[in-house]
Amino acid sequence: MTTPTWGEPTGPLPSAEFRAATQAIMANIEQVIEGKSATVRLAVAVLLAEGHLLIEDVPGVGKTKLAKALARSIDCSVRRIQFTPDLLPSDVTGVSVYNQETRDFEFKPGAVFANLVVGDEINRASPKTQSALLECMEERQVTVDGTTYELQAPFMVVATQNPIEMEGTYPLPEAQRDRFTARIAMGYPDPRAELAMLSGQSDHDPLNDLRAVADAAMVRRLIETARAVHAADAVQQYAIALVTATRESPEIRLGASPRSTLQLMRTAKAVAALEGRDYVLPDDLQALAVPVFAHRIIPTADAQLARRTTDTIVSEIVHRLPLPVANRNPYDAPRDGRAPYESRGR
Amino acid sequence: MTGRRRLGMVAAGATLLGSAPLTAIFDSWTWLLQVLLTIVMIAGAAVLTRTLRFPSWAQALGMVVALVVTLTWIFPSGHETLVPMPATFAHFAELIKQAGEDTRAYAVPVPDRDGLLFVAALGLGVVAIVIDLLTAVFRRPALAGLPLLAIYSIPVAVYLDSVPVTPFVVAACGYLWLLVADNVDRVRRFGRRFTGDGRDVDVWEPSPLAAAGRRLGLAGVIVAVLLPLAVPTVTGGLLSQLTQNGPGAGGGLGTGGGGKINLFASLSGQLNQTATVNLLTVKTTEKDPFYLRFGVADLLTSEGFGNQPPGGTPLNRGSLPDPQREAASSQARYQRYHADIQVSDALRQNMAPVYSYLVGIDNISGSWAYDPNQLVLFSSRSTTRKQKYSIDYLRPQYTPTELRSAPSLPKDDPVRQMYTSVPDNAYVETQVAKLIKGKRTDYDKVRAIYDFFSVKNNFAYSLSTQSDGGLSAIESFLRNKIGYCQQYAAAMAWMARVAGVPARVAFGFTRGTADGDSYVITNRNAHAWTEVYLQGFGWVPFDATPTTGVAGSARGNSDWAPDTDRATTPTASSSAAAAPGTGSSAAPGLNNRPEAGNDGDNSALADPASADTQNWTGLLIFGVIATLIALLLVPALRRVLLRRRRHAATAGPPPVLATADPTEPGPAGAITAIAVSTETVQARADAHAAWDELVDTMVDYRITIDPTETPRVTAQRLVKEALLGPEPATAVELLGTAEERARYARQPMQGAELTSALHQVRAGLSHSATMRNRLRAVLFPPSILLEWRLAIAEASTRVMEAATRLRDGMTRFNPRRLLTKSR
Repeated sequence: MTTPTWGEPTGPLPSAEFRAATQAIMANIEQVIEGKSATVRLAVAVLLAEGHLLIEDVPGVGKTKLAKALARSIDCSVRRIQFTPDLLPSDVTGVSVYNQETRDFEFKPGAVFANLVVGDEINRASPKTQSALLECMEERQVTVDGTTYELQAPFMVVATQNPIEMEGTYPLPEAQRDRFTARIAMGYPDPRAELAMLSGQSDHDPLNDLRAVADAAMVRRLIETARAVHAADAVQQYAIALVTATRESPEIRLGASPRSTLQLMRTAKAVAALEGRDYVLPDDLQALAVPVFAHRIIPTADAQLARRTTDTIVSEIVHRLPLPVANRNPYDAPRDGRAPYESRGR
Repeated sequence: MTGRRRLGMVAAGATLLGSAPLTAIFDSWTWLLQVLLTIVMIAGAAVLTRTLRFPSWAQALGMVVALVVTLTWIFPSGHETLVPMPATFAHFAELIKQAGEDTRAYAVPVPDRDGLLFVAALGLGVVAIVIDLLTAVFRRPALAGLPLLAIYSIPVAVYLDSVPVTPFVVAACGYLWLLVADNVDRVRRFGRRFTGDGRDVDVWEPSPLAAAGRRLGLAGVIVAVLLPLAVPTVTGGLLSQLTQNGPGAGGGLGTGGGGKINLFASLSGQLNQTATVNLLTVKTTEKDPFYLRFGVADLLTSEGFGNQPPGGTPLNRGSLPDPQREAASSQARYQRYHADIQVSDALRQNMAPVYSYLVGIDNISGSWAYDPNQLVLFSSRSTTRKQKYSIDYLRPQYTPTELRSAPSLPKDDPVRQMYTSVPDNAYVETQVAKLIKGKRTDYDKVRAIYDFFSVKNNFAYSLSTQSDGGLSAIESFLRNKIGYCQQYAAAMAWMARVAGVPARVAFGFTRGTADGDSYVITNRNAHAWTEVYLQGFGWVPFDATPTTGVAGSARGNSDWAPDTDRATTPTASSSAAAAPGTGSSAAPGLNNRPEAGNDGDNSALADPASADTQNWTGLLIFGVIATLIALLLVPALRRVLLRRRRHAATAGPPPVLATADPTEPGPAGAITAIAVSTETVQARADAHAAWDELVDTMVDYRITIDPTETPRVTAQRLVKEALLGPEPATAVELLGTAEERARYARQPMQGAELTSALHQVRAGLSHSATMRNRLRAVLFPPSILLEWRLAIAEASTRVMEAATRLRDGMTRFNPRRLLTKSR
């Protein structure tokens, strides 16, 4: 997956450098997206977790702007695909065309051949076109006419979609949804942020002023650093417990996949690293459960009739599930034989 | 009839059954009629108001009105027609006042007195209202037991010794009926009954669950009966009564609180005294008065002297006889004195203690009569309880010379015939014959017998006699020579009778303890002595009991019956210097003057056994209380010890590494392995101990524990919920971070001041908690109680599981299987 170029420095970054680099990226994005630091942080975390981001919200709240700002902050190749109903899979992956001069078919790479792919209004394309993304998102490669082309690292798809408009849209297939690490909602800015936006963006688009603060090599090193974050056994057990709970919940028809477990843990590591920790906390998992799980699971018909959103179902599971502490840490000294307090009830 | 109205009727019935204990109070059954009428009227009012759907307060008011109207009908003042008028209430007040007087004047069972009947009807009416309200309005029938108990407490308070058990059983049945009716009503309102197997049953059909209820009830009753048997009491429960069989006179109210002294001078027995009870206070103009006297025993059997009921003229008719004018006692010299006697609550007998030769009495309430022969003041209905009266009396003075001049009674004299009859006993006759050999006058004979009961002849005081199988009681006493006042008095009287001198046993109290110018007499001062009839002098008292055993003995005050033991001491009794030296051991007869110190000494000598018993009882009670307190303190102690241990853990060894700033660790690339060294293991254990302690502290201060919360969130919530100040808040966050790192990080936090942080948090929580929570956290820490409860629950679950496994195994075990296997 990660294919470093020769001569490039590798290995995890020291904490100070990591902090400086990530702070720079987040500050850069926040120049454009004001008052949404949590969302920005999550977006960066998904980048560091080598995941893909689905931004879902009503029109005009800055979905595309966030995607573009993220792309501009990193000095790497960026492609943008405007998903339209007539878009064809070959437009995404690339196509082999006959070259008159060489008298041979020549591969013309599609839009996915970049470090960052911004897919706008992804649900407007037909499922046929959407499916073109499946291979590249998971396997980071493209196969056209029997030939497989590797994609560059880092590779991230940032897609936006509009949940309100149903006319002329094609909902993402489950497989496609499961490939997105996290789905985030932008939400309306608070009045102060909106006021600042009015005064700052009335004459020009700040997106144009945005400069890259990191390059692809730096991002690769950041990713490597985030991977090194420690997840204790108790935390891993908790992640498993969370995923199992979504699979066993009576309100959910399709629970979270094993892939989502992996992505949850990776994102949690990235979040922990962004917060300056070298270990994952159950708090991180709790905070990420909704963005990571909510778009993948399918509620039962009863739950849908009861107007239960997947967000509420997942957050209820989080609030119901006790923390596993029976074995807090395998490296602990033996305890004094008292029952752990969590079993005591209220 | 709706459930509520039906419950009201049951409440009335239960009240009626609950009034059963009053049967022990009243002589006749008139009260029952009136109480029945009252309760029926109240129940009727309750049903009526409930049918008309009155609010609760109106129901109560209706019942009160019914009570007042019924009382008006039963006890009319004559000024009203069925409706109470102001005069009626004045009449009621009069009746209550009259009842107060009657309770003082009459002993139980009382005759039909209007006042007492009124109070009974009024009291039961109030109880009926209370029970009705508790049962039908407030739906708390269990509380109705309290008023029922209040009724039962009346006979308990009146009869000190024992109360018949039947009324209690009847009242208890009423109470149980009430409870059952209420439960049936509850079940009925619920709609169906749970039988355990899903079958629907009628309300009256016994449920399978009822068996468990019956078993529980039976166990409860057995425990309630057996437990009091084992509990030690001061004034004597059933056990004490069973073990104390000594009759009362002689040294105290032996049976412990009967309030009466048994007038029987037994020739054998055992005396048990538990507590000291004040009986009388006497204030007299006489210096060094002789014993107070209240009864006489003159019927001699081989067991001892028995009492025959006194007879005489009531006080208000005819005056008291003057001994100076009576031929039988005219030769003695008399001096007139005045005494005020106050009887306490504890002495309830129908014979009033007086000094002998009573010539005048004032202020005694109730009807009393005087027996001029027995010289006893008695009553058939009143008791001495709380009486306060003053008497005038004549104290006779005799000298041995005068008494020697008394001639013997002729053999056919009725007095001599009556008071010299004795059962045949050869041993006594030979003894007496030996003693009176050569004595000519009655007095000399009596003195010879009196002198016989001396320390010189090895007589000694003891709280119990020794019995020799086969010997008669008197012979056994005369041979063993130990006993208490009853034996001495009875034996001397017997021997005097054998010698042909009329004699009997008198009962009364010794002088008691001087308290200022009055004497306080307790049950330990009860005493018996001999009276001998000497012609011309009347009944002359002789106290043969050794003074060592008698608190406040006046033996030896008299010239005619000097203390024989004092005379036997080698030093002259007139030698003041020598007396104290020998007094305490050999001749305690010196304790003649009623000085408090000496008497205390005396009583200690008197009843070493009872003093011991009292000490033991006191120690036992103290021990039980101390154990209870210690048991109550166990949770607090356990909590303190646990905290100390954790603090010891968290204080730990000094930090090895430099203090790591918890906020600055960062994803350091250098440390990738999980640190496992002695220090880190210790640091993790410290953090866990501190966190456990914090959680227990939270439980103690009633802050909920959420098992889904991470340490970080718990710390934040604690700060917010308990409104901690900045310092404790920092401490809580430090604890949270330490635990978080210990659980999840590669490198635990080291060198943090967790103990002081814990102290700060505890102080902060204590500061923001209510007084009640604070006290509970210290005395009954919920964390410990919770832990124990869980432990008990887990243990019982394990036991149940084991039992189930065993049962399953038993069920499955089939010998045939073994056969199949072996084949």
